[in-house]
Amino acid sequence: MSGIDDLGGFLRLLRTELGLQLSDRDAYTDLADVEGWDSLHLLRLVSLLEDETGRRIPVRQVLEARTFQQIHSLVAGGARAAAP
Amino acid sequence: MTVPGNSTLGPPLGEPVEVGARVAAWDRVRADLTAYGTALIYAQLADLQPDLPEGEELRALLGRDWSRYLDLAHPAVRSRYAASRILLKFAAGAVLNGDPDDLELAYGPTGRPYLRGCDQIDISLSHTEDLLLVGLTTRGLIGVDAERTDRQMYGSGLGRHVCTPYELVTLASLEQEQRNPSLVRLWTLKEAYSKAIGQGMQFRFSEFGFGPDGKPVRVQRPDGTAGTGSEWAFRTFVLDTGYCVSAAVYDAGFGAVLDTDITTMLDQDAAEAITAALNEQE
Repeated sequence: MSGIDDLGGFLRLLRTELGLQLSDRDAYTDLADVEGWDSLHLLRLVSLLEDETGRRIPVRQVLEARTFQQIHSLVAGGARAAAP
Repeated sequence: MTVPGNSTLGPPLGEPVEVGARVAAWDRVRADLTAYGTALIYAQLADLQPDLPEGEELRALLGRDWSRYLDLAHPAVRSRYAASRILLKFAAGAVLNGDPDDLELAYGPTGRPYLRGCDQIDISLSHTEDLLLVGLTTRGLIGVDAERTDRQMYGSGLGRHVCTPYELVTLASLEQEQRNPSLVRLWTLKEAYSKAIGQGMQFRFSEFGFGPDGKPVRVQRPDGTAGTGSEWAFRTFVLDTGYCVSAAVYDAGFGAVLDTDITTMLDQDAAEAITAALNEQE
């Protein structure tokens, strides 16, 4: 990963690429309570993360995440696991 | 593949009916349900908001959704949540000739909503931006979805997650200005279908597809061959307000239901259990 190694970078990606108006606290907000967030954003995010990390992101696991922090953990965890 | 065009071809399904504070078209909703076994209802959030109940009245209307409503912190999310449930309950109350307060909205394991005790009528709910959409059917299963026709989807990397290989090739062959609205149409059809079968996005959208508008629409396999038959009906409409609305209806063979009064629509098992319990008390 690069710009999304930390949660702050991940939130910046959400703001700039998806146009979501998020505070830092929204990392821990239930996704159902995030204004503007929908299933299309979720797939767009998966695409962005795949471009960013260069690997396939499991959509099913992202669907199960309840917060942006959990999605970030998924991606960051996967990157660590894939590291040589 | 074409952009959504309110085709007159395809299965019988009435155009979405607008309701709201200024437009009360419940007679048309009831007529659609009688004629087609299905009714689509929509409202603008801004139209409903001034008349949304508050306090105890809202609590009574939301029923078990009240605690979920209280959990939502963002005012806009909370307001949309309440408005969509209220629209659904009023729509169901109108076709069932029942008090919306008495209808209990419940959710299946995958989050699919249903009216507890009224299994003969199926419901679906969608909202995007300021549009609220409800689908009702007595035929079997229904899923509905809506999205703005100008929402940017094509070229944003979504294709590989949303489309079958056949759809990707077909989309690419379209005129540039038709690609995005055509992809939005596909998206709403896939959302509607996956809601109807209770799968949501757990069912990968790249593993099933849809053909063009303008003739009966069927689910297709990834290579473009037919995947479902005439038991499934799909329609897409474009509203004047710029929303693309799709519905998927599964005909379980129940036939037309002419009497949708709530006393008739009570689940047979529930009615029998109540009758048995009353007999035991006598």
